[in-house]
Amino acid sequence: MHRVRKLKLILWTLTGLAFAVGAVRFLFGLGATTNLSDATPWGVWIGFDVMSGVALAAGGFIVTATVYIFKLERFHAVVRPAVLTAFLGYLAVAVGLLFDLGLPWNIWHMLIYWNPHSPLFEVGWCVMLYLTVLSLEFLPVPAEEFSRLAKIRQFLLKIRLPLVIAGIGLSTLHQSSLGSLFLIMPNHLHPLWYSPMLPVLFLVSAIGLGLTMVMFESHTTAYLYHRKPETDIIGRLGGVARWVLFGYVVMRLGDMAARGQLYNLAGTDGPILWFWFEIALMGIIPIVLLSIPAVRTSRGGQWIAAAFGVSGIVLNRLNVGGVMHQGRGDYFYVPAWTELAISAGVVSGAVLVFLYFIERFKVWEERPVDPEADPKALPELSSVGSTWLGVPIVANRTVYSLVFILAAAVGLALLSPEPASSRGVDPSPVSPARGGEMLWIDGNFDGFGVAFQHESHRSMNNCAVCHHMNYPMDQDTPCYRCHSDMYLATDAFKHDWHRSETGAGLTCMECHAKGEVRRAETAKPCADCHTDLVPASAGIKVESYDAIGYVSAMHQLCIGCHSELAAQMEMPEFAQCAACHGDSEEHFANQGLPSRDRERGGKRLILPPY
Amino acid sequence: MQAAILTDTTKCIGCRECVLACKKENGLAPEVPHRWNLDDGLSARNWTSIIDRPDEKYVRKQCRHCVEPACVSACPVGALEKAETGAVVYDGNKCMGCRYCMMACPYGIPRYDWDQIVPYVRKCVLCHESRVSKGREPACTEACPTKATIFGDRDELIRIAHERIRSEPRKYVDKVWGEHEVGGTSVLYIADMDLDFLSGGHLDDEPMPERTKLAMNAVPFTFVGVAAAMAGVNWIIGRRMKLQQESGPPESPAKEDGDA
Repeated sequence: MHRVRKLKLILWTLTGLAFAVGAVRFLFGLGATTNLSDATPWGVWIGFDVMSGVALAAGGFIVTATVYIFKLERFHAVVRPAVLTAFLGYLAVAVGLLFDLGLPWNIWHMLIYWNPHSPLFEVGWCVMLYLTVLSLEFLPVPAEEFSRLAKIRQFLLKIRLPLVIAGIGLSTLHQSSLGSLFLIMPNHLHPLWYSPMLPVLFLVSAIGLGLTMVMFESHTTAYLYHRKPETDIIGRLGGVARWVLFGYVVMRLGDMAARGQLYNLAGTDGPILWFWFEIALMGIIPIVLLSIPAVRTSRGGQWIAAAFGVSGIVLNRLNVGGVMHQGRGDYFYVPAWTELAISAGVVSGAVLVFLYFIERFKVWEERPVDPEADPKALPELSSVGSTWLGVPIVANRTVYSLVFILAAAVGLALLSPEPASSRGVDPSPVSPARGGEMLWIDGNFDGFGVAFQHESHRSMNNCAVCHHMNYPMDQDTPCYRCHSDMYLATDAFKHDWHRSETGAGLTCMECHAKGEVRRAETAKPCADCHTDLVPASAGIKVESYDAIGYVSAMHQLCIGCHSELAAQMEMPEFAQCAACHGDSEEHFANQGLPSRDRERGGKRLILPPY
Repeated sequence: MQAAILTDTTKCIGCRECVLACKKENGLAPEVPHRWNLDDGLSARNWTSIIDRPDEKYVRKQCRHCVEPACVSACPVGALEKAETGAVVYDGNKCMGCRYCMMACPYGIPRYDWDQIVPYVRKCVLCHESRVSKGREPACTEACPTKATIFGDRDELIRIAHERIRSEPRKYVDKVWGEHEVGGTSVLYIADMDLDFLSGGHLDDEPMPERTKLAMNAVPFTFVGVAAAMAGVNWIIGRRMKLQQESGPPESPAKEDGDA
């Protein structure tokens, strides 16, 4: 199969998967689809999609500066692909950001609510403006094909120099401001990555990354389309990239030396090794490779060196953007597969648009052979196409669409049960209260509960005040029978049991009237059969059969009476938490519950086994 | 007046009345143990919490309402603001959910509605709208049975804090937390233990916004400078190439290489 077609199949698969995951993200929220937490509010969507995306797209302003400002005409061949990469890169950043933002429909608020003190405000504005500039820089290319757009094209070419200059200014600003974002986190960002020089370091590394990215992309597309790469030009870019990266490494280490931080590099701790790995990947390896003339002028050498540089700087952005943040407890963030799927899908979408532009417009000096019309490529798929999918071109599109839809379906299938039900809370079944005159209420069995004086409550009240709903022929159904999960609402009706032959064995018609849509609202009321379901003097009137979580149920039941009594008796402590939780101060359900293995201060009641 | 809270951890008995009062005042739902919660007790539904320390000691955690807040300077749309009372307040209608405030806060206070489809940033707002702006004290300090956490003017509370330390120097650590760090905070602590654990380590006195100020102030000058330099370079190179062309085309390729 043709290389391009293989790649497109993979890209369409990833886009389809991301489509499904993206839909679920907007339907169920960030908690259901990411591993983000209060400890790591930023994850791979910021570190990769935004921070790395912007840096990867730096090639646009560097190459336009080289050709139009420094007038080095020999680099002209890479201008169009570089500008297109930059344009699509920034577009991907914007799209990726929409997934990460909690309220993406408010993204335009930056236009009207200003906060010029915020580096993120500056980045946002620059990216918006630069995206406009890039689209105007690239528009003349597709406009070539349409004679009606000739006037617009002429005008755009006339204002190209001011556009290029604006683009360089804007890029300088936001590439460095992405580093400024982290200046405000001196005590969270690891000292090996934090530096007051972050804006400058980000700008220099972005220049290095822009250059290596142009090299990498030229070679990759040349490989895909069986095209001769501009090895000479790329070699020259590599020569410049080598010096930029060298400058970067010197600056980074020099900055640490100037601040007296070099001692942090002594040792073999994880972060130190990680630091050297990053420096080797983004600096030392590409510098060494590009310094060897044989490597610099060879196709494979350029490609590999560029790949090292690109992956190294992406790693740097991920580290600064979230991985190397500390001081919020022992939380380690590993992105959820859904997060990675979105990131991959956004990039795939951008690459697909890139390939479309390459094939459709004159991005290169010569347009590549359209793989779908390439006679050599036809036989493999034509057997599929001619039998049941029509002519080959349609067949290709059909296959891509099919792959997209299949991937989306797989994505939905993988996702559907999990986020809809869990919502970040693990199910925790309730175990019954134990004891007689004194009940030990400890639903999740962790040893922290409430010692409930059942006998004295019974002598004060009618049973039905608490036992507000009972199983048939029962007057004291225990709480846990309906409130069967500690925190999540559960179904108290048990539809399947009523239907099942081993349960009630009812037919549908016995509850759902004929001709009615079968829904809970239109079904026969339970009390029609279960006349003793709700006692006459029930303390709580229930309106639905979703039984609230055990903890909420207990609190709602107890706190009302206790507050009243506290007021009557003028004993405020009677309504305080400690009135019931006296033996386990730690375990206030309204507190974020501590992890089980954490050292606890509260008293623990040791009970005999069941 | 700068509204402020002074918490004396030696007086706290860990009864959680402040937590309960806060939840009632702000209409916060009961908490469940979500995957994304930290173990300090704060969450989108708990704006204050009591942290248990060894030896039956308790520390109340809440937003520090910094004098120069990092979150306010970080928010790109100005959804967080330092109100005239001294409270750091949040306007969800402006927020776009970037969570930069959560990253920027040196105390790690703001929490997020991770389980909501329309999520907001949640944190203590010092009962600004419902109480403090009307001259009343916040719900938490009002509810405290032992007066371990008290409300007042910031300067006055700092004076009280130093007085208490002076009168019982062997009981307290000689430091008022929040007097100087990150430029001062409106929620102050005195304690018989080291409270640096609240911020995950020691904090310097320099206000956090100062750290980005230099870079942000340089923005317009950088833009103008870079643009002017680029225009200048372009003009010079263009002129030089033109001169070369006039003097004789054969020389130009070699010369150009030298310039590069």
